[in-house]
Amino acid sequence: MAQADLGADFETDFWKDAASRKIWDDIVPGEPRKTLPYVLTLEAIQLYCRSVGETNPLYFDEAYAKTSRWGGLIAPPSIHILLMFACTPTDDWMRSPGTINAGQSWSYNIPARPGDTIRLEARALDKFIRKDRLFVVHDNVFFNQNNQVICSGRGQTIRPM
Amino acid sequence: MTAKSYETIDVGARIDGPSFAVSRESIRLFCDGSLDYNPLHLDDDYMKNSFGKTNFGGIIMHGMNNFGLITRMLTDWAEPLGATHRRLETRWLKPVRPGDTIRPSGTIKHKTKSTKARWMLIDVVVSNQDGMAVAVGEALVEFPAAA
Repeated sequence: MAQADLGADFETDFWKDAASRKIWDDIVPGEPRKTLPYVLTLEAIQLYCRSVGETNPLYFDEAYAKTSRWGGLIAPPSIHILLMFACTPTDDWMRSPGTINAGQSWSYNIPARPGDTIRLEARALDKFIRKDRLFVVHDNVFFNQNNQVICSGRGQTIRPM
Repeated sequence: MTAKSYETIDVGARIDGPSFAVSRESIRLFCDGSLDYNPLHLDDDYMKNSFGKTNFGGIIMHGMNNFGLITRMLTDWAEPLGATHRRLETRWLKPVRPGDTIRPSGTIKHKTKSTKARWMLIDVVVSNQDGMAVAVGEALVEFPAAA
């Protein structure tokens, strides 16, 4: 069963399940992260768009979007920022308070669209220590309901001690 | 039209993104838009703590907010050219705080062709109101092969 309309149900207190999340020592590179399918709504796309000041009619104006090469409304490429939290459970270590993002790289294949059921395949790929800081490399691929790759990306976070 | 665009945009050409005023409200809206409610972005008391050797002194903007501003700039630039934003890699250099005003920009660094398409490699930077870089990166935009 895919999640949708997370706005009302989403647990915004990231302390709540903190004790159940893996710490750096317990994260096993190569081991899949637990993920949840998520139905991406137009409302979620447009709320994300507003948060970064997006105004492109491809995300807001259906009549315009239909005349574009995309043939309808789409989500902006960086929608993976939302999907990372929408497609993972509350005990996922990406939510650990104090997790510091050190940089990311993403490749974009096809746009996500409103109504898509999005699936995430994710894992830690590597972990290391630099200047006494504990790093984890994470590796993610988002798919739509037709198993087409939407985007893939990798990032580094500094883990809280 | 599209073929001409790739040929007429030179290495060194600049892309300017819109400025973005960072406030407690904009950071809170990004929490709601991204579902990233890490206390780094919400809780001033928590941010009195030190993180290793770093003390931020108060809440900070999500690093990925920079990322979203850069993809916004690149997509809005590429779409009218019939081109597609294909990749973005970033590093964060400085924390961004409420009261800062940031602006992404890009510079065409290199043009190259693959078997099926043509590409522009673009240096990107997000600068604050003092002209200091808070995030840097590199992007790839794909143009269709010449007809």
